[in-house]
Amino acid sequence: MKAARVLAVRGATLFGVLIASLLLVIVVLGATGVSDRMIGSIVNEQVREMRQSLAQTIRDPDQLEKVVSEQQQHLISFYGLDRPWYTRLPDMVWRVLTLDLGSARTLKSFEGSTRVSDIVLERLPNTIILVTTALVISAVIGLYVGVKLATRVGSRLDRSMSYLSAASYALPTWWVGILLILVLSFQIRLFPFGGIISAPAPQDPLARASDVVWHAALPVATLVVASVGSWAYAVRTMVLNTAQEDFVTAARAKGLPEGVVMRRHIIRVAAPPILTNIVLGLAASLGGAILTETVFNWPGMGRLYFDAIMALDENVIVALTFMFTVLYVLARFVLEVLYIMLDPRVRY
Amino acid sequence: MSRRAKNVLKELLSTGSGKVGAAFFITLVIISVGVIVAYPANFGLRYWSNPVLWADNPQVAPPSWTNLFNSEKHLETKVFESTGQAERLPEPGAMRIIYRFNLDYAADEAPSFTSLTVQNVSYRDRPPIITVTVQRPDGKSISLYQLIVSGPRPGEQPPFRRYYDTPFRVRLSGEPNVASAVSDFLEQQFSVSISDQDLLVKGVDQAVFGVPDGYGGFMVLKGNYTVRVDALLYNQSDSVGHLKYVMGGSVFGLLGTDTLGRDLSVGLLFGFPVALFIGLVTSVVTTFIGTVTGIVSGYIGGKTDTAIQRASDILANIPLLPILIFLAFIVGQNLFIIILILIAFGWPGLTILIRSMVLQIRSGNLVEATTTLGASKSRIMFRHIFPQTAPFVFAQMIFSTPAAILAEASLSFLGLGDPSLPTWGQILEAGFQNGGVYVGYWWWILPPGLLIVITAMTFVLLALALEPVVNPRLRRVQ
Repeated sequence: MKAARVLAVRGATLFGVLIASLLLVIVVLGATGVSDRMIGSIVNEQVREMRQSLAQTIRDPDQLEKVVSEQQQHLISFYGLDRPWYTRLPDMVWRVLTLDLGSARTLKSFEGSTRVSDIVLERLPNTIILVTTALVISAVIGLYVGVKLATRVGSRLDRSMSYLSAASYALPTWWVGILLILVLSFQIRLFPFGGIISAPAPQDPLARASDVVWHAALPVATLVVASVGSWAYAVRTMVLNTAQEDFVTAARAKGLPEGVVMRRHIIRVAAPPILTNIVLGLAASLGGAILTETVFNWPGMGRLYFDAIMALDENVIVALTFMFTVLYVLARFVLEVLYIMLDPRVRY
Repeated sequence: MSRRAKNVLKELLSTGSGKVGAAFFITLVIISVGVIVAYPANFGLRYWSNPVLWADNPQVAPPSWTNLFNSEKHLETKVFESTGQAERLPEPGAMRIIYRFNLDYAADEAPSFTSLTVQNVSYRDRPPIITVTVQRPDGKSISLYQLIVSGPRPGEQPPFRRYYDTPFRVRLSGEPNVASAVSDFLEQQFSVSISDQDLLVKGVDQAVFGVPDGYGGFMVLKGNYTVRVDALLYNQSDSVGHLKYVMGGSVFGLLGTDTLGRDLSVGLLFGFPVALFIGLVTSVVTTFIGTVTGIVSGYIGGKTDTAIQRASDILANIPLLPILIFLAFIVGQNLFIIILILIAFGWPGLTILIRSMVLQIRSGNLVEATTTLGASKSRIMFRHIFPQTAPFVFAQMIFSTPAAILAEASLSFLGLGDPSLPTWGQILEAGFQNGGVYVGYWWWILPPGLLIVITAMTFVLLALALEPVVNPRLRRVQ
């Protein structure tokens, strides 16, 4: 079972990636003293609350001070603040790995919960809507255009597309978004400035859905514009590379129709690198989503990340950095599985 | 220049994209060198972030050339300074120095503000008196403002020096005394009575540069105005160093201003060397590390190879932007730290590619021959293997340059840029944060983004032109 071994090795590496980025985040937090400050402020907050409630029952000030300082010591050792940060490391890694993401300091979910997992779960679907739609659209356009270009290498269309895809690579996602807002929202007033749904949300489910689509149009367009060019170009190059292999010439010599050569001999072989591109595109649009959601005020994970930075909400920042890595690693793993399915050389 | 490098250059310039890219690149370098020579080293903190320096510019003014497309003509900011001829008029026991600033007022709006700045006054006996008078095209004139320079402090010895360190600046438009002078003027000349307060709200300059329209407002009065600034000095050795009268417009310069009145063209020019620095330093160092580790990993093999490959596998798979944001947020918003992070996560991709190339080269005849001749490992790696990867490495270096520029711009756009110097991303972020998209401050948002795109494009075009060098298969068909 070679496939299983390959998968196991890749899985282990990707798990290593996950642990490495988690360690990176936690070590940076610990070594810069941010972690101590975070926990310190949690302890202080709890001690303050405790003092208030105890003051109701204990009248003697000395007695009160004694009880409070006892409790404070208890809390400090409970959170491990009396130990150096690196001894807390295994606990923290375990806590985050088991998806115990803690609670936010200032941010809240729309329902009012401060648990990070509540906040994230609320935002996750919104990001998925945005990123997946954009990915599907750019993949379809990119594949179609890329294959078209590869059959007409050197034509005027091919050359102008090369420039366009270069431009697309050089376009910062967020700037595309800003341009679209300036032109289509500000000047022509065709689309909303941002958000996911109109302020009094329509009640009718159909109207609701179309309202979301109307709001999603610009952010999706932004993500597509920023990625479709490099897509088409990568597909073109890969198809072109494969088209010069000897077996393609042989297939043509056999007299196979051009369509069959393209589908069975070229695209089939060029598929794994194209898939890599899809997944790398997914990873990039994850980053792009942070910026696009910020520009369009789209209530997804990217916008949450931005808000967390602005509010200095460390727990949310750590949790989201972790979540982004998990999503990325999962995508890579799916890719590995697809590789095995597509490339017989890996399977046997 | 070696033959190989010459060939690469020839290949580069043989394509259209290569020519355009090279032209852009040379332009970028020339502008950057010019900026480095012309700008002070501490431009960011000392000048860009110092609101005092920009106080006399109109705020969020679009570029002047927008007037060409408007039927209504906006006023361009006009600055009058006391250089050159001044009229000297002796008076009993005093000397009056008169500066006249003439202008043909043609705009369809009143100035957005007017201000007077006085600098370097010194006197011996009595404090000088400085007055501002506006003579209008309709023959009427308004005495707007009178400044009596502050008197001697107890124990202070003459000559008394005033406004040397910090110039004295007064915004005439917001000055209650000016409002009351204008209110009196309107009462006497036009029999219109408006209280000082109302006048301050409506805008004093509306009345100074206009006539009442009969509905409680004012119409702009076009024609020749003379702004007269008098300095009355009481001693031969008294002097007024520098006077400045500013009439704030609503359009400004080539690229307009931001909410602090900063000239955007000045900040954007400064962005050129910064962007090139970020891009080039990151790509050169990244490529260097990636190439060395790739060659070592591929040639030495064994445990070294495994260690390098595992490390680069992991680093190359960490999603960059979230980690970059996190690190910039925690470790600090410093340009060098940002560059360091970009390098730390940038090299592994190249390592993996170079290694696979080296594995092929290693099994070739050349390496076998030199090994038999007894060449040392390092000699083989850097005299025989490296040259064969060089064109690819060079192309990769160019290709990775825009990524660094775009990454810094993205960080800046999220508000995590280095606050000590303005970058294009930061200027754009400021425009976005100030609601530029929703109120249409396009001149604040389009140019910085366009510059980022052009700079990134330059390197992408060069990389495109280099592709046949790297991938000879593509050359065969073209």
